[in-house]
Amino acid sequence: MTSSQLTQAMVVCRKELTDWSRDRRSIMTVLISSLLAPAIIGFMFTNLASRQRQVEDITVPVIGAANAPALVEWLTQQPGIAIVAGPADPEEAVRTRREDVIVVIPDDFAKNFAASTPAQVRLISDGSSQNNRPKVQRVRALFLRYGNEIGSLRLIGRGINPVVASPVQIEDVEVSSAQQRAAMILGFIPLFVMIAAFTGAMSISTDSTAGERERGSLEALLVNPAPRGAIAGGKWLAGTATAMLSVLVTGGLLVALFQYIPLQDLGIKFVLGPAQLVGTLAVVLPLCPLIAAIQMYLATFAKSFKEAQSYLSFLMMAQMVPGMMATMNTMPTKAWMYYVPWIGQQSLLTDVLGNKPIHPLVFTVVTVTNLVIAVIVIRATAGLLVREKIIFGR
Amino acid sequence: MIQVENLHKRFGTVHAVTGVTFTAFDGAVTGLLGPNGAGKTTALRMLYTLMRPDEGRILVDGVDAVADPQGARLRLGVLPDQSGLYPRLTAREHIRYFGELQGITGADLANRTEHLLKLLDMAAIADRRVAGFSHGERTKTALARAIVHNPKNVLLDEPTNGLDVMSTRAVREIIRRLKGEGHTVLFSSHVMQEVSALCDTIIVIARGKIVAAGSPDDLRRQTGHPNLEDAFVALSGLEVDTGVSS
Repeated sequence: MTSSQLTQAMVVCRKELTDWSRDRRSIMTVLISSLLAPAIIGFMFTNLASRQRQVEDITVPVIGAANAPALVEWLTQQPGIAIVAGPADPEEAVRTRREDVIVVIPDDFAKNFAASTPAQVRLISDGSSQNNRPKVQRVRALFLRYGNEIGSLRLIGRGINPVVASPVQIEDVEVSSAQQRAAMILGFIPLFVMIAAFTGAMSISTDSTAGERERGSLEALLVNPAPRGAIAGGKWLAGTATAMLSVLVTGGLLVALFQYIPLQDLGIKFVLGPAQLVGTLAVVLPLCPLIAAIQMYLATFAKSFKEAQSYLSFLMMAQMVPGMMATMNTMPTKAWMYYVPWIGQQSLLTDVLGNKPIHPLVFTVVTVTNLVIAVIVIRATAGLLVREKIIFGR
Repeated sequence: MIQVENLHKRFGTVHAVTGVTFTAFDGAVTGLLGPNGAGKTTALRMLYTLMRPDEGRILVDGVDAVADPQGARLRLGVLPDQSGLYPRLTAREHIRYFGELQGITGADLANRTEHLLKLLDMAAIADRRVAGFSHGERTKTALARAIVHNPKNVLLDEPTNGLDVMSTRAVREIIRRLKGEGHTVLFSSHVMQEVSALCDTIIVIARGKIVAAGSPDDLRRQTGHPNLEDAFVALSGLEVDTGVSS
């Protein structure tokens, strides 16, 4: 491309951006689609957190509370735990699922406790029921903690550092259903960022191609001595710029949102801070030229603005398929996937958000491949602008 | 100067332009006159290089428009059949956009824009978005952007179609002025009065063929009709085909 062609491309690009920035509808599209991702993710997490809180508040029926008043007192002081009197037929109550778990404190508890021999506490639960397992485990953990605390106190009473009694420390990494759901929500982030790039380019892709013809301004534009490559190139640059803008806005909003989501409370080690934002942008921004190029090529074929929009809607759904599959199946990333446009970006994006390092060579190859394909597609678009059927819309 | 030799264009089985040959000279106004569907727009589209002739030769100042469309476009200023504008841009921005695409910049572009705005009496609307423009204001804007680069050859496809009296006058004034400055002006019309008032040469085209060519007086003499409109109707064969008796 010569410098005069570049100048002409910039003239076209500037005009398209001016035109775009005055179109309230296209600005609204970018704004709304940028807000959509943070809004959906925020809503899902708020929903999840409130459900999590419901699980936290549990009621434990206790039989024989009078046998261990200190233990029961300790239990009631634990956050989210309410103690009620148990039913007369505890095993039957659990078997018929009236209760998830019932605690029975035997009559000899106080005697054994005072003698420092193991005092028994009976937990009645139904192991065949999946749903109440977290609740049973929670109650079990409470007793273990109580036992540890008392044990430590007894060791201190005998002049022994309680630490020696804990040779192994267990760190629990829970994979409960709430966390799986949270991980799935996070898996949508790459998808949302891609959609942002897509919707960002869409206005200019349709308006400057099918729209230009529908308005009847294409003929006048093409009578200019500017080469088709410069005209198509300028429009492409403008579409790329709005796609990037949309990605930047969405990314920024997501990072802002994640400062307020209490992921730690959900037990998730996930960070979406400036570093991840930079990584995400590094992966998605080079995709914007390709998205704009493909959209423009398709929209140039369309007979009208509306037809172009419906083509691009199909394209958007098609581009969501690999992302959706990756989110649903969490299939392992294979090496070849990185080199397929689109899938490669999704894989890289998953790595970035999972704090895995990106291989610079892979990144370079994916980015360069994208740009090369984009240039080929936009050249093909320039070629279309010579065809009478395209220019006059026959 | 625009030279056209034996131009042919077919769309499927329809022979839209059949063996059109003529020359439009510098410092002269040439009119393509014909009823709707005669092939005027198709012929002009081939001249301004957006359509490829199936046969024939087009020379714009000696440049072959088929072999070197870009070279031909450099020498052309065109008001095409479809002169749509960008509703969100102002009239001035339209002129500037096309000027910049033609490679005009800076003070040169500003002067040229001012000159055209004044010439077409558009000062009051120059910085308004064209969305609310009347048909006349739109045509003026399209015309201004078409000739912002002061092209040697000017092609106008039905420039006064649907315009009111004042706008028509402004367009005619521009055409006369371009002629006076030595440009080649070629425009199409289906209005007899228009063509006879402006043209040095009239080319009557019907069903894709040239049926007559010459000065208004030549045409009157050829057909034996003292009235140009009768001459036009006789030449384009409208009476026979449609039953219209002027």
